[in-house]
Amino acid sequence: MTEFFQSLGLTYEAAWAFATLSGILLIALPLMLAVAMIIYVDRKVWAAINLRRGPNVVGPFGLLQSFADGLKVFLQETIIPSAANKGIFILAPIVTFTVALAAWAVIPFDAGVVLADINVGLLYILAISSLSVYGVVMSGWASNSKYPFFSAMRAAAQMISYEVSIGFILICVVLWAGSFNLTEIVNAQRGHGFGLVNGYVFNLLLFPMWVVFFISSLAETQRVPFDLTEAESELVAGYQTEYSSMSFALFWLGEYANILLMCSLNTLLFFGGWLPPLDVDLIPWFDIPGIVWFLLKTFFFFFMFSWVMATVPRYRYDQLMRLGWKVFLPLSLLFVVVISGWLMVTRYGA
Amino acid sequence: MIQTIAFYLFAVLVIASAVMVIMARNPVHSVLWLILAFFNAAGLMVLVGAEFIAMLLVVVYVGAVAVLFLFVVMMLDIDFAELRAGFVRNFPLGIAIALVLLAELVLGIGAYQAGNLDLGTPAGDAAPMLGESNIENLGALLYGKYLFLFETAGIILLVAMVGAIVLTHRPPKTQRGHQHIGKQNARRPEDATVMKQPEVGKGVEL
Amino acid sequence: MDYLAQYLPILIFLFIAAGLSAAFVFLPMGVSRLTGAHNPDTEKLSEYECGFPAFEEPRSQFDVRFYLVAILFIIFDLEAAFLFPWAVSLDLTGWPGWITMMIFLGELIVGFAYAWKVGALEWE
Repeated sequence: MTEFFQSLGLTYEAAWAFATLSGILLIALPLMLAVAMIIYVDRKVWAAINLRRGPNVVGPFGLLQSFADGLKVFLQETIIPSAANKGIFILAPIVTFTVALAAWAVIPFDAGVVLADINVGLLYILAISSLSVYGVVMSGWASNSKYPFFSAMRAAAQMISYEVSIGFILICVVLWAGSFNLTEIVNAQRGHGFGLVNGYVFNLLLFPMWVVFFISSLAETQRVPFDLTEAESELVAGYQTEYSSMSFALFWLGEYANILLMCSLNTLLFFGGWLPPLDVDLIPWFDIPGIVWFLLKTFFFFFMFSWVMATVPRYRYDQLMRLGWKVFLPLSLLFVVVISGWLMVTRYGA
Repeated sequence: MIQTIAFYLFAVLVIASAVMVIMARNPVHSVLWLILAFFNAAGLMVLVGAEFIAMLLVVVYVGAVAVLFLFVVMMLDIDFAELRAGFVRNFPLGIAIALVLLAELVLGIGAYQAGNLDLGTPAGDAAPMLGESNIENLGALLYGKYLFLFETAGIILLVAMVGAIVLTHRPPKTQRGHQHIGKQNARRPEDATVMKQPEVGKGVEL
Repeated sequence: MDYLAQYLPILIFLFIAAGLSAAFVFLPMGVSRLTGAHNPDTEKLSEYECGFPAFEEPRSQFDVRFYLVAILFIIFDLEAAFLFPWAVSLDLTGWPGWITMMIFLGELIVGFAYAWKVGALEWE
């Protein structure tokens, strides 16, 4: 994009600054729009599975529901409980939403369409997503109220438990791709299965890791069946109980932005990112821009998230911890050993 | 130019938040300032070209160690007024420790200034490049040249893990409610239920 | 500096994201004062407790197992941190590097097995 601004007669520095700023806005604004729409989609899918209609009043097919909700929330009063720690109470939603946005800086939407193509992109995402626990803990503690505090502690323990196995799964992918750069990881998946299909999911050793990763991403974003942090029968609304107005909405938006991030990570790490599913030039689908494939795949994973939400009952806390520590952790560790051993024999062997 | 601005931004923020860590009255605020300090230190690491170290700083220190700190200060019911009351009593000891640390610092810098200190292998442009990126270089050194030190790190981690469990683990008070999920999943409908079609007026033998 | 040019957008992005979120938090506060929606009272500002006044401090002592989870997490996170450079340098280190890491993992699996055996991973 820098070249485009340079062709308008700007110096290199000015062109770079304009390109970067417009790149950031091109990510942040559509992302917020996507979050608003995806909340609508979530409710619609959920309603369809329950044989209900879902939102259908505001705008055609209820499409404007999220915007109506947003406006309502925006005009509401912000309540800060008198017992709360004011500064941290206000800071918590800001941290949550900032972290949810910041991870998108390194996501490649298409070949070369990425804001910051850093060498350690995957580590950056791991680092940023490990920060999302702070929004939760800060809000729960600052509320100075019982339910938010319990919920925050549960959430923190849950998120760190599943982060362990996510780390090991990422290592499996990195072992195979040989790089932390997300663009290189996607390119390494071209023609991965018999030179025909794109994506690590078609690899027999990586497929189980994708299953574990998908379930872990449900747990990491606190979706059903792992939504113990806002188990309304026990904890009212979880760590958001004391929040109102836009501060409350920011937790919502951040949560959905994180869900979209996890969906796109599933796409990038296991389903070949912007590459078409088959690496065969029979049908002219190489003409379809990569970003369409990327968005389609991400949307598919979001549909899976909603599907799970509508059909699976909630876990109990001890079951959740057991699944994370006693099933996923040993399993992903075993696969690190097996995959690296296999690669030593077949690729790097003496 | 931007590098210089970024350096001073990060450096000033590191020092300012480090000062706030010890100045803050509420220990939770202290931990949050500490997190800000770690974050800016990561920024400084990026500036010197150690991107992997920068990410590790965030993943390990901010993402893990500071979470434990937060857990501890948030969940322990410490009476902070009482702790502060001990400040005056412990003040001489604190000063003594600070003086010792200062002396060590002066000695260290003095020794370094005096020269004749050969630490490690040649750095900078003279250092051999083993791989393409600095992660690969790090890996090649850590798992090639320094593998015994690395194994020692493993032992230390093992000791830390066992020590933490020994210190904090309390056996459960009740033996109630332990679910055997394997057992549950292995159970089939045939083992648990029987279909009976009793005639009217006759009981069922089980 | 091509390398730092990749990181500058991230820094700018962080600032813009933080500014955006701060605007989202503070704007409604101003707007609600203008529209008259801002109307706090004592009941509204008290903490949520199912309709009756809270009768104990919300920040109570917590189960020690939460600390244990956090400590175990640190250890496994460090283990993962050691695995990252190893995963991309296997072509340089070869079999010795691989075997080194297997011994390292073996040491930690001993610790993990111990944690499992004494029931540190159990939740009720």
